[in-house]
Amino acid sequence: MDERRVVVTGIGILSAVGAGREATWAGLLAGQNGIVPTTHVDVSDLTSQVAGQVPEFDLAQYIDRKEARRMDRFTHLAVTAAGEALDQAGLDIAAEGDQIGCMIGSGIGGIGTLEQEFDVFFHKGPNRVSPLLVPMFIPDMAAGQTSIRFGLRGPNYNTVSACASGADALGTAYEVIRRGDAVAMVAGGSEACVTRMSIAAFANSRALSRNNDPETASRPFDVDRDGFVIGEGAGIMVLEDREHAEARGAEIYAEVLAYGQSADAFHVTAPAENGEGAARAMNLALKRAGIAASDVDYVNAHGTSTPLNDKFETMSLKTVFGEAAHSIPVSSSKSMIGHTLGAAGGIESAVTVLSIRDQKIHPTIHIVNQDPECDLDFVAEGPRDLEVRYAMSNSLGFGGHNASLIFGRYEG
Amino acid sequence: MRRVVVTGLGLVTPLGTDVACTWDALVAGRSGLGLITRFDTSAYEHPIAAEVKDFDASAYVEPKLLRRIDLSSQFALAATQQAVADSGLDLASMPPRRVGVLLGTGMGSAHQIVEQQRILDEKGPRRVSPFMTSHMLPDTATGLVAMATGARGPNFAVTAACATGGATTGEAAEIIRRGDSDVMIAGGYEAPLQPIYYAGFAAMKALAVHEDPARAVRPFDLDRNGFILGEGGAVLILEELEHARARGARIYAEWRGAATSNDAYDMVGAAEDGHGVAQAMEDALERAGLDASELDYINAHGTGTALNDRVETRAIRDIFGEHADELMVSSTKSMHGHMMGAAGAVEAAIAVLTCYHGLVPPTINYETPDPDCDLDYVPNQARRADVRAAMSTSVGLGGHNSAIIFSRWED
Repeated sequence: MDERRVVVTGIGILSAVGAGREATWAGLLAGQNGIVPTTHVDVSDLTSQVAGQVPEFDLAQYIDRKEARRMDRFTHLAVTAAGEALDQAGLDIAAEGDQIGCMIGSGIGGIGTLEQEFDVFFHKGPNRVSPLLVPMFIPDMAAGQTSIRFGLRGPNYNTVSACASGADALGTAYEVIRRGDAVAMVAGGSEACVTRMSIAAFANSRALSRNNDPETASRPFDVDRDGFVIGEGAGIMVLEDREHAEARGAEIYAEVLAYGQSADAFHVTAPAENGEGAARAMNLALKRAGIAASDVDYVNAHGTSTPLNDKFETMSLKTVFGEAAHSIPVSSSKSMIGHTLGAAGGIESAVTVLSIRDQKIHPTIHIVNQDPECDLDFVAEGPRDLEVRYAMSNSLGFGGHNASLIFGRYEG
Repeated sequence: MRRVVVTGLGLVTPLGTDVACTWDALVAGRSGLGLITRFDTSAYEHPIAAEVKDFDASAYVEPKLLRRIDLSSQFALAATQQAVADSGLDLASMPPRRVGVLLGTGMGSAHQIVEQQRILDEKGPRRVSPFMTSHMLPDTATGLVAMATGARGPNFAVTAACATGGATTGEAAEIIRRGDSDVMIAGGYEAPLQPIYYAGFAAMKALAVHEDPARAVRPFDLDRNGFILGEGGAVLILEELEHARARGARIYAEWRGAATSNDAYDMVGAAEDGHGVAQAMEDALERAGLDASELDYINAHGTGTALNDRVETRAIRDIFGEHADELMVSSTKSMHGHMMGAAGAVEAAIAVLTCYHGLVPPTINYETPDPDCDLDYVPNQARRADVRAAMSTSVGLGGHNSAIIFSRWED
């Protein structure tokens, strides 16, 4: 059987450091902090009052005003990021729409719409609930609406694996192309979780930082880290059959080499001891990519800034990379954009691809006192020029979901 | 090429809390619909639902966990325990990483989200449960099932509105086929019977209205006027063929192929020409390596809405041509209601049982033919038939479609 290969031909990102691919990438390289005092919702009675909010963006670029009212914000973010990626890829959708699919992961879907409608339901009664409640809230709607907007008729659904959702969507889309079910997939993650319920719930589960200073709240791998900062955003890429991309002369930014996934089967919210599950996902990805651990030039970590995640993730990197772990640069985008939950794997994979495109890696900011238990090279001093042939993006979710993606420089 | 077979089934449906009871009701043509008992329905004239009755979750979930998890997760865990027991698999003796879990749901922990939202609204953010985060996400049950079974392989949820169950089961089978696991616990679950969601669907004017609840859902009938919300869970144990053979497992049917697609048309209504679901059916047949004439039965999406049933009929005619007149097509939603994210999985399980038993459940409440729906809908009476291959189709909000095909197992 011919082995199909998969490449990246389009990238779209909206994040707290920029409402667009190049703005986000420039912001990350510059070590720009995107965490701000929360303004999307009233947080006066919430313990966490900072968030990564996407700056104002031109919604009308891809969505007409009437349609926009029928979509939750997580769908606005998804359609806009997908639009940016598709513009860059330049696929002929009119001719090939049946063979182009869409998989956009989202952890909680239209939670903002749900909260608004609860307000209506509790205070005005069931007869006032919007007929669009269900279609706006359900988490597959980012993939659904993106397909509707751009005419993508191929394989289509949403994958949910908590904070690994975006990564699993990309991984599944990669497998869909590999098995020949589509020539291209628009895939990634989207989340609009800066809402009262999301913040209250994550705060009460003690996952969020209680530090409300935007300049220090998200500090992965620092000894004083005390939780993550919630963030919103979307990261969506066009994955494409390599031969298809080459035949149409598309610009190729990187190759997707492997997808590894695992479950801890351990605890609802805590990672397994020593990061065993995460290590297993990374090892699977390395094996499938057919490369040695020592070939990896850069790791974009999950790096949430919670005490347990960063400690166990460091241990899992040492398990996988051995002594070499100390010489592989590892950075956490979340230090600048916060934890975008289901979008994280999508955004961070896109960032990993940009690292390969430009042969540059971004720093982890806010490390003042590096935790001795997190003793790797977290690129704390600033951006770095680096020869990146192989790079890995890791996502580790509540519920023990682990996903690891490996991207490689396109060698033509 | 690795092949995938079905070796275990678990069902919790409005027709019964296990496979045997559900199947008996299906072939007897019994309705699982009734007046809503779960919440105050005084605001509605015809409050009908397909509720799961006499479900004892404590038979499947230990008490401490039971108190903490949503009804939807209870359905998932119960269906899983049944399916694992039915398969005869000794999961403890298998390498844990070779067993994965893919479960789908449309909304996830619907009850707990409502309860916590009420607490946030009435008592303030500090009183929101610390467990809410793990229940807010639709992958809660996949994590719980992994913990209950020790399955450490591929694990995530799939959501595709009402096409969720079919999309999930198909993707799980592909994971085995490509070699990433040997056994997958796959299926769907849903517990949407909460006043706010009911209000949302009622406002869409999509719910069926009828004096007699048992006759409310009338797929393909001229007088059909909507669907009815149902709840429950379905799990299929998918297993790599040689793995199943080596342990002498009972094989219900072989998974042959699956496809998903999107209409790329509208967020609520299906495209009138049925191109999306037709594409899913065509792709699934091609991947299954089957000619259209080799398929004997379709478990249709058949919601009972005017639009869906007409569109689906048209799509079947487009893909099957003359063979459409030879096909048996039934909508078991006429009996178990629309189980949303669980629907595709329940109906995939029914397609499997149809191949296994050589018996096709009917479409009940079929009285007056609709000229736009002119297929053999197996009206009102189950039928003995030699089912070589069966397909389950699903169509969802957001333009999602899925089709999945199983064939009779002959060693």
